[in-house]
Amino acid sequence: MDSLKQQLKLQIIAALNLEGMQPEDIQDDAPLFGEGLGLDSIDALELIVLLEREYGIRLKDAKEGKPVFQSVAVMADYITTHRTK
Amino acid sequence: MRIVITGRGVVSALGIGKQATIDALEQQHSGVHSCGAVPYDDAALAELCGIYTPASRSVLLALPAAREALAEAHVQEDVAFFSGTTVAGMNITEQHWNDWQQGAPTDLIRHHEAGACSRQIASLLGLDGPVVTPSTACSSALNAIMAAADYLRSGQATCCLAGGTEALSEFHQQGFRSLMIIDDELCRPFSDTRHGLNLGEGAGYLVLETEEHARARGAKIIAWLDGYANACDAYHQTASSPDGEGAYRAMQQAMQMAHLQPDEIDYVNLHGTGTENNDSSEATALTRLFGKHLPPASSTKSLTGHTTSASGGIEAVICLLALEEGLLPAGVRVEEPILSTLVQHPQQQVLRHVMCNAFGFGGNDSVVIFSAEQGTELSSLTLPMLTPRVVVAGVCPAHLTPMQARRLTPGMRRLTDAALEALQQAGIEYPNAIIAATRWGCIVQSVRFLSDLLASDESAPRPTDFMQSTHNTPASSVAILCHAHGYNTTYSDGDESLTIAQRDAAIQLASGRVKSVLVLYYDELEPTWQALLARVGITMEEHAEAYVYMND
Repeated sequence: MDSLKQQLKLQIIAALNLEGMQPEDIQDDAPLFGEGLGLDSIDALELIVLLEREYGIRLKDAKEGKPVFQSVAVMADYITTHRTK
Repeated sequence: MRIVITGRGVVSALGIGKQATIDALEQQHSGVHSCGAVPYDDAALAELCGIYTPASRSVLLALPAAREALAEAHVQEDVAFFSGTTVAGMNITEQHWNDWQQGAPTDLIRHHEAGACSRQIASLLGLDGPVVTPSTACSSALNAIMAAADYLRSGQATCCLAGGTEALSEFHQQGFRSLMIIDDELCRPFSDTRHGLNLGEGAGYLVLETEEHARARGAKIIAWLDGYANACDAYHQTASSPDGEGAYRAMQQAMQMAHLQPDEIDYVNLHGTGTENNDSSEATALTRLFGKHLPPASSTKSLTGHTTSASGGIEAVICLLALEEGLLPAGVRVEEPILSTLVQHPQQQVLRHVMCNAFGFGGNDSVVIFSAEQGTELSSLTLPMLTPRVVVAGVCPAHLTPMQARRLTPGMRRLTDAALEALQQAGIEYPNAIIAATRWGCIVQSVRFLSDLLASDESAPRPTDFMQSTHNTPASSVAILCHAHGYNTTYSDGDESLTIAQRDAAIQLASGRVKSVLVLYYDELEPTWQALLARVGITMEEHAEAYVYMND
């Protein structure tokens, strides 16, 4: 699980072009949106693309992303349950 | 002087020509079946137009509409052409992309350029006046109509054909899909149950001239162009602000120019895409502006689909048909309307003043007002000699935080830093107008999106690339960064792009609407594109320049 979270942080940094940020700058349970990293609606769409590209998980509606993208820990749980690759 | 409309032409999913369009409006018939495709393939359109040389679908859709407008106005000589487009020849590019990578001849790549699309239309129509191509995504056609009005007011043209054209492309269909704002069902604009848009295609053009010119040649006057405005939401590249600030300003300024009060607008043709975000933002802007005098309004995109760059042209023709026929157009499939005055069934009603809205990516919000009775006297514009107060090109200090810069390509960063440096040197926080020039648009993002889209491994193309692929990304990004809510437009006319942008800067300064204008010149080298162009002898130039012009 920890290695998945670490990998996920690297993928998030790359997908969202979070230049200069390191995986350790993102806390497992810290909110990704809102007060967190300052991300916006396009970042949520990029995370949906990331889930599809890397883990074969397809979300049909941007709204489905909201509960999934609460934090890296929640995302990792979701991936573990739903991944198809 | 007054500006009048003497010709109209339209092509959309409702059919070719004004009669097909008015029939559909009267019968409340929709041409949208999953999307609003024009029911003729390229070969049928070419046959219909009598065109036997290679032409993109955007050109083929434009011709019948443009010819209908010119025929109604009975003009042909000395006509300046203003044609908004973003897709231009993308259909050709995406069709040949993989073959080009394998070494196939790239002659047709010329069609990709927005300005080339307009120049080919002008040439096929036999027009020999100036050609101007505004490219501000979904507000392109309305900006073309406004640019035409400004050319008339400044004596640079006596008669103009203006509007826009856009073909459906795989590129933007998948692009809107990546933004997750396409409804797989039929769209329901301004309904509480709305769930996204349906794309469409087509073209719409008007003939505009000064009233004096029209009367002198005995032309029939269809309507007056009474007010027009372009404002920037300056909020987000793809999302509209919750309070609809850009839309509010554009509508308010257009009404001010037309000397009209809220209770005098008889109909609003909404931008009304059917996305959650657009419709709630537009409804808020309308409520803020009109208060208890909300006029009847409808989104005809449920009939035509969202025809993106052409939408302002098509919907301007719909407004003019409504004005002439005394018909309030209605959308279809309205469920639980979010605006109390949404027209749900076509109604006969005498209309005097109608408003047409078109909003584009980057918050490029444009509004025009047409009147059935002799309209407002507009001032003539005397263009000033244009000398830049500040010019910034080349390497300059970084002005962006890492979070602001994270999505920008290297060329966009250089341009944005140049823009912010120029503003700082000019001692202004934000300019009153931003006008950009670009030949190839945001080609780095476009090539990236196209490569992902057409890759054999089905890599999902990225929404960030699509969001930044439209030509107006530089002008709107800078507006967002410095909170510039004023006039904002982009021209893509090959080598002429910068000259046309600078001419518009002179127009804006002459209008008295603005005291400062930021002109941006952006083109970024993209190795794959550069190599494809080199094979047909086109040299790509790089530009990241910012100019500030000011009234003394």
